[in-house]
Amino acid sequence: MALRFQDDFLKKLEYLHVVSKREFAGQNRADRRTPQRGRGIEFADHRPYTPGDDFRHIDWKAYKRLNRLLLLLFDEEQDLPIYLILDVSRSMAEPAKFDQARRIAAALCYVGLAHLDRLTILTFADGLVQEFSPGRGKGRIFRVFDQLERLEPGGPTNLRDSFKEFASRPRQVGLTVIISDFLDPSGFEVGLKILRTLGHDVCTVHIASQADRDPGALGDVRFVDAETGELRELEVTPRLATAYVRAWEAHAEELQRFCGRYGIGYVRADAERPFEEIVLKAFRQGRLLA
Amino acid sequence: MTFAGLAAWQGWLLLAGAVAVAIWLFLLKVRPPRVIVASLLLWGRVLSESRELTFWERIRRAVSLVLTAAIALALALAFARPTVRRGHAPSMNGRILVVLDSSLSMRARTRSGDTRWARAIADARRLAVSAAGEVAVATTADGLIEGPTSDVAIIDTALDRIAPSAAPVSGWPQLAGADAVYFITDGAIARPLAPGIQVHSVYEAAANAGIVAFRVRPSLDRGAAGEAYLEVANFGSAQKVRLRLSRASTSLLDRTVEMAAGESLRQVVRLGHGAEREVRARIDAAADALDVDNEAVASIDRARALTVTIVGAQTTWLAPLFADNPDVNAKFVLPADYQPGVEDAILFDRWTPRDAPARPALYFAPPVDAAWLAGSGATPPGAAASEKQPQWTIAGDHPVVAGVDPLTLTIERAHAYGSPQLVPVARSARGTPLIYVSDIPARPRAVIVAFGPAESNLASAPGFPVLVANALDWLAPADARRTLGPAGNPDVSNLGRTTASTSRGSAMVGTGGTGRPWWVYCAAAAFAAALAEWWTWLRRITV
Repeated sequence: MALRFQDDFLKKLEYLHVVSKREFAGQNRADRRTPQRGRGIEFADHRPYTPGDDFRHIDWKAYKRLNRLLLLLFDEEQDLPIYLILDVSRSMAEPAKFDQARRIAAALCYVGLAHLDRLTILTFADGLVQEFSPGRGKGRIFRVFDQLERLEPGGPTNLRDSFKEFASRPRQVGLTVIISDFLDPSGFEVGLKILRTLGHDVCTVHIASQADRDPGALGDVRFVDAETGELRELEVTPRLATAYVRAWEAHAEELQRFCGRYGIGYVRADAERPFEEIVLKAFRQGRLLA
Repeated sequence: MTFAGLAAWQGWLLLAGAVAVAIWLFLLKVRPPRVIVASLLLWGRVLSESRELTFWERIRRAVSLVLTAAIALALALAFARPTVRRGHAPSMNGRILVVLDSSLSMRARTRSGDTRWARAIADARRLAVSAAGEVAVATTADGLIEGPTSDVAIIDTALDRIAPSAAPVSGWPQLAGADAVYFITDGAIARPLAPGIQVHSVYEAAANAGIVAFRVRPSLDRGAAGEAYLEVANFGSAQKVRLRLSRASTSLLDRTVEMAAGESLRQVVRLGHGAEREVRARIDAAADALDVDNEAVASIDRARALTVTIVGAQTTWLAPLFADNPDVNAKFVLPADYQPGVEDAILFDRWTPRDAPARPALYFAPPVDAAWLAGSGATPPGAAASEKQPQWTIAGDHPVVAGVDPLTLTIERAHAYGSPQLVPVARSARGTPLIYVSDIPARPRAVIVAFGPAESNLASAPGFPVLVANALDWLAPADARRTLGPAGNPDVSNLGRTTASTSRGSAMVGTGGTGRPWWVYCAAAAFAAALAEWWTWLRRITV
C-alpha cells in the first residue's frame, strides 16, 4: 500500500495537534508547555532570589513595592515525546486492519512532526520489533511513510512482554499511543498498566475489522488462528454467531472500561470506517487530537 | 418378508448395504472450509460459556442420522419391492405345493414391463429356493407338473416350460402330505379355495381393451351364411380402439371408435356365402396390457354345404333328415353303385365296404362280420357279444352323443364290434357298447352306431337328428370345424379387478405385483424423509 496523503488532508492535519492530558518535559525547545520553568516568554511565577541566579530575571518592580528580591519565572516550552506503538502481529495481517493502522500512525506522526514533537515509532508483536525516530519537522513524514510501508506483520501478540521491553529502556515519559486490535490471549490489562505505571499518558486506538466482529460463515467451518495456527472446527449456527458477536462487543467494552478506569484514552477505529473521519472526528472526540 | 425383485438374501443384503452406506456417508466428515481469523481468543470464550443445550440440539444429529438411514432404506425397499406376510406364517420346512394360476389374464403386462406370469414364476422360484423340504409345482390348467422334489433345478426347468393357456381349468391339484400350499394368482377368475392355502397375489391393475365375445351365428337372412357378432370392451381409460374384421383376405370391417372407460361395443356384420369359413376379428388400442384378447377367430358353420354320400339298400328312412337342408348335399347310392369319392362324409346304412373307406363315415348297424370292424373277434371285456333290449340311460360327454336324449330311444338289439380301433362312447346299463368312434391320427374318423332302424326306434326318436348332426360335425374335415380364439372371457380381459384379496379361508400374501404399488410408497417415503432431513439441516443452520 502506498502511504500518501492528499495535500488538502495534510493541511487539515497541520491545524491539529496531539493532545496530552499532562505536561511532559521535552528535550528541545518547541511550543509545548512543560512543567519546567525556563526561558519561555510567558510569565509563570516568582521565586525568591538566591545567589547565583541570573540577575537579569530579577523583578525590579516587585523589589520596589515589596523591598524583596524576586526572580521572574517563565514557562519552559519544549517538544512533546510521543511514542506511537504499532501492533504488527499476525492478527493484524488482514490488509484492511493493517492499512488502517499504518495510516493512523502516519497521520498522528504528521501532526506531531508539524508541531515539532519528538516522535518515536515502535512496532511490536510478542516483543518490540522495530523502533525508529523520524526526527523533527514535517518534512520527515516521507521517511515515516517509507518505514511504515516496509512493515510486515508476523508473530503472536504479547502486550505485556512488549511493553515490559519498552519500559526496560530509559525513555522520557510522554504520550504513548498504542495502535492494536488488543487480541492478546494473555490479556491487555498488564501491558497497559505497565505503561501507565511508567507515567506515560497512554491512549489506545482499537483497530477492528468486520471479520473480527462477525464470523460471517455459517455451517461447518475450520477456523485457523492467524497467530498460532491453531485449528478449531466449529459448526457455526446463527445462535453461536450471535454469541460470538456479543463476545466481541464485550471484549471491546471491557477494553474501553479498563481504559476509562485507568485514565487511558480510547478510540475505536474500525477498518471499514473512512480513515479521514476517524482522524478528523473520532480522534478529536477522543481528545487525542485537537 | 419376501422381495418381488430379488431373492430374499439379495433383498436383505441390499437393505443392509444401503443403510450401512448411508450411515457411513453421514459419518464421513467432509473437510470444512478454512477460515483464517485474527485470533481464536473470542471463540474460546464463546465456547467456554456453559450453555444448556436445547432438546432439539441434543437430538438433532441423531434425528439427521436416522433420517439419512431411512432415506436409504426406503429407496432400497422401493427397488426390492418387499412383501410382508400377513396371517400365519407358512411352513417352509415340509413338503410344499406351489400352484400357479395359468389363466390367460396372467399374460397381462404390468407397469414394470414384465407380465403377471413372469412375476408368478419368479415368486414360485423364490418359494422353491427358500423351501427346506420337497416342492411340487402345478398349474390350474394342467394340474401337477413337477415334483415333489427337493431338486430346485428340476423345479426351475418345470417352471420354464409352463405357460398360461386357454385350456379349461382342471381340478384343484392335490399333493399327498403337503404341509403348505401356495397359490400364485392374479385373482382374475374367482376360485373356491380350501382353508390354509397361501394366496400370493401378482395382481396389478392394468388398462386393457379386449374382445369379450366373438362368434358366427345363424342369420335370419336366408341369403346369408350367418352373421358375425363382435363385442369389444374397454377396461381402461377412454381411448381410441381400432376394430378390424376380415374373412381370408377380404376386409369386412375396419373402423376406429372412441371408447369411454368401461364402455362395451357390440358389432354385428352380415356374412355372405363363400368358400372361406374363417372369420377373424382384431382390435388395436394404445392402453392394452393383454394381447391374447386382441384377436379372435370364428368359423362359419355352414359356409359351404357338406357333401354326404348315403350308401344303403333301404335308406328311405334317412331321406327326410336331409331333405330341404341347405347345409348338406346328400347323395343316395346303392351298395352296388358305391364308388369311393371326395365327399365330406359317408353314411353307411347296414352295409360296409370290404375295406375301410378313405373318407370319414357314419355307420348304422354295420355287419359284424366286416373284417376291419370285427378285429380279432374278441369281445371287449365286461361286455356281451350282443345284448337284447339294452338300456341307454346316460348320453355321455363325447361330442358325438352330446345333447342326445337316450331315454327316447328304444333299442331291441345292439351289435358288438371287437376292433381295437373302436372306442365306445355310449354304453348300455350293462356295459354293452352302443356307439363307437374311431379317431386315429392319419386315418379317417368313424362313428359306428351298433343298432339300426330295424332294431330300434331310431328313425322316429327325437335324439336321432341330434345324433346324426353331431356325428357329421365330428366327422367333417378339420378345416370345416369351428376354431375358437382365446378371446371371449370378460374375466380375463378385465384387468382392473381381482378376487385374490377376497378369497375366504386363505391367507393373502402380497407380492411385488399386488395392486398396491409399494415401490411408489417407498419412493414417496424416501422423498418425505429427504424433506424432513432438509428441514433438520435447515434447523441446524438457522437455530
